[in-house]
Amino acid sequence: MEDFLVASDLTKSFDGTQVVASASFTVRSQEIFGLLGPNGAGKTTTIRMLSTVLDPDEGDIRIGGHSVAGESDAVRRLIGVCPQELALYPELSATDNLVFFGRMAGLPGGEAKARAAEILERVGLTDRAKDAVRKYSGGMKRRVNIAIALMSKPRLLFLDEPTVGIDPQSRNHIFDTVLALRDEGMSVLYTTHYMEEADRLCDRIGIMDAGHVIALGTPVELKTRIGNPDTTTLEEVFLSLTGRSLRD
Amino acid sequence: MRLFIRQALLLSLKDTRLFFKDRFALGFALLFPILFIVAFSLALGDIGPEDEQLRMAVATEEENGFSREVIDILTVTETTGVDEWDPKDAGLALHEGRIPGYLLFPVDFTQRIFSGESTEILVITADGDPETKAVLDGLARSIGGRIGTLSLAVRGVTELEGLGSLDLVKLGELGAAPPSIFFTSEQVGDVEPFNATNFTLPGYLTMFVFFAAALGAEAIARERQTQTLERLLANGVRRSSIVGGKMLASLYRGLLQLFFLWVLGIFAFSIDFGTSPLAVIAVSVFMAVASSAFGVMLAALVQTVKSASSAAVLTSLTLAPLGGCWWPLFITPDWMQALARLTPHGWANDAFNKLMLFGAEGQDVLVHIGALALFAVAFLAVAVGRFRTVSAN
Ligand SMILES: Nc1ncnc2c1ncn2[C@@H]1O[C@H](COP(=O)(O)OP(=O)(O)OP(=O)(O)O)[C@@H](O)[C@H]1O
Ligand SMILES: [Mg+2]
Repeated sequence: MEDFLVASDLTKSFDGTQVVASASFTVRSQEIFGLLGPNGAGKTTTIRMLSTVLDPDEGDIRIGGHSVAGESDAVRRLIGVCPQELALYPELSATDNLVFFGRMAGLPGGEAKARAAEILERVGLTDRAKDAVRKYSGGMKRRVNIAIALMSKPRLLFLDEPTVGIDPQSRNHIFDTVLALRDEGMSVLYTTHYMEEADRLCDRIGIMDAGHVIALGTPVELKTRIGNPDTTTLEEVFLSLTGRSLRD
Repeated sequence: MRLFIRQALLLSLKDTRLFFKDRFALGFALLFPILFIVAFSLALGDIGPEDEQLRMAVATEEENGFSREVIDILTVTETTGVDEWDPKDAGLALHEGRIPGYLLFPVDFTQRIFSGESTEILVITADGDPETKAVLDGLARSIGGRIGTLSLAVRGVTELEGLGSLDLVKLGELGAAPPSIFFTSEQVGDVEPFNATNFTLPGYLTMFVFFAAALGAEAIARERQTQTLERLLANGVRRSSIVGGKMLASLYRGLLQLFFLWVLGIFAFSIDFGTSPLAVIAVSVFMAVASSAFGVMLAALVQTVKSASSAAVLTSLTLAPLGGCWWPLFITPDWMQALARLTPHGWANDAFNKLMLFGAEGQDVLVHIGALALFAVAFLAVAVGRFRTVSAN
């Protein structure tokens, strides 16, 4: 499989503190790539650089053959971002949120509406589409957050901790959606703190700690590093690689 | 450019929808200023001459003659605010504090005009009451002005009949004295009371347009925190479109406030736009533009929602009194008037006062409009230079 995203030696500092340090990895076409790491490891900062929001101090990113630095407009047409926060307007309905972001991404009004209805159906929110998002449950809000990222028909989707604080039903719904999207040809970069979630979803995983990518591979490859892949959990791998000391 | 306009417009329309859904923001922008304007118009209205206690007293020692005519005209209706008193009663009433002062026409008032000598109207007030003295002086001067023109006509008659000549120079002087506001309104029929809303409304309007725009910085900081701005950027929205859209949304709100409060002022408080209503509107619009740039600049300078609201409250409550929103600038000492020049509020208020209270024309406030435009450009430059879409978490 070809590499859809190639990140080489990404480095970023804030106020003299290095937050991302020479991070290199790739996301292949039609794969779910998990970026794991403790709090403050630099995952969100990495996604910001990959999604053209933040300029890296050093390093190079290519997405779909385009340079993020030089051809950001072309890159922006290929990506969708679901931020860690609920990046939406709680006072607006789900439909209005989707239509707004769709139109801001360049869709004409009619097309944005049609696409919003289609995506809301997909994330199971058609019944409540007209209600203000403020009134939704946590799981429903998370699903809207993802739905908005799909409005621009991305080929690469960034999901930054998309399942924080929601019940197993909503979580499973999101898993199914993400797996289906991949099967339709989308590439996904997924960050999470839940190891069993990564184990279940991700084709390949990169583990970040203090800004460095310290391990890369399939879940089975990573487990094999410390023991028998059938009895070892990803959490054990994670703790053995990143240590047990508290972060933040 | 087309992309910028499309994105900025879409963004500003979305913000406007959110504004109408936000009851607090709506109330703050529209109802709060009304409360302030009503309260302070009532409070300040008490010192205006429309108050019953500030009726003016006139008395004459002549049996008949010019002073009789003048007093008859002045007291023809209740609304003129002038009462005639017997000279002795007036003196007593002043002594006992029942009236603050009065005008007295001397016994030879008419005779002296006819004989061409200078004559006088006495302004009699209690010691240490400059306000009443000012009001009565104004009335006396406007009567003098009228008698001046009247006497010219009389002079023609008397000369023909060889009865004597008038002192033209003296009369000319009396006639040239600037008529008071009172006299001006008296001329058109009935006396208009001094309307305190003419300066409380522009003051609080300016304060609240800026205040609401500054609080808009909070919403921008919130969007930074919830990562919607990031999401927009990753969607291909330009940073300049975000700044432009935010400023536009703030401008719509400001224009809505202006429209709402000016209309209210005209219909509920009978405020007077002066001789150049268009200039008042132009000053208002430039003030709103400066305020929206100010709001976006604040948003660019702060990180969090909390610091945005503190900055909004702090700047608004400092700039408003400095800029003459709480009391008219023209009653403040020179150094305060100079300080006011450092604020957009000061330029706006000075322009409003000139236009609405002192009969200035549009061209007299061009400088003010230019200053407001300069403020807008400066604020916007800082906003564009410092605007961040990403917040530290
Ligand atoms: N704009 C910024 N300015 C200053 N420091 C920042 C900024 N953004 C992030 N940081 C710091 O960089 C470090 C990495 O942050 P980042 O959000 O990338 O970590 P993360 O892996 O996403 O963590 P989490 O799992 O908690 O989401 C943190 O210490 C954070 O405080
Ligand atoms: Mg993060």
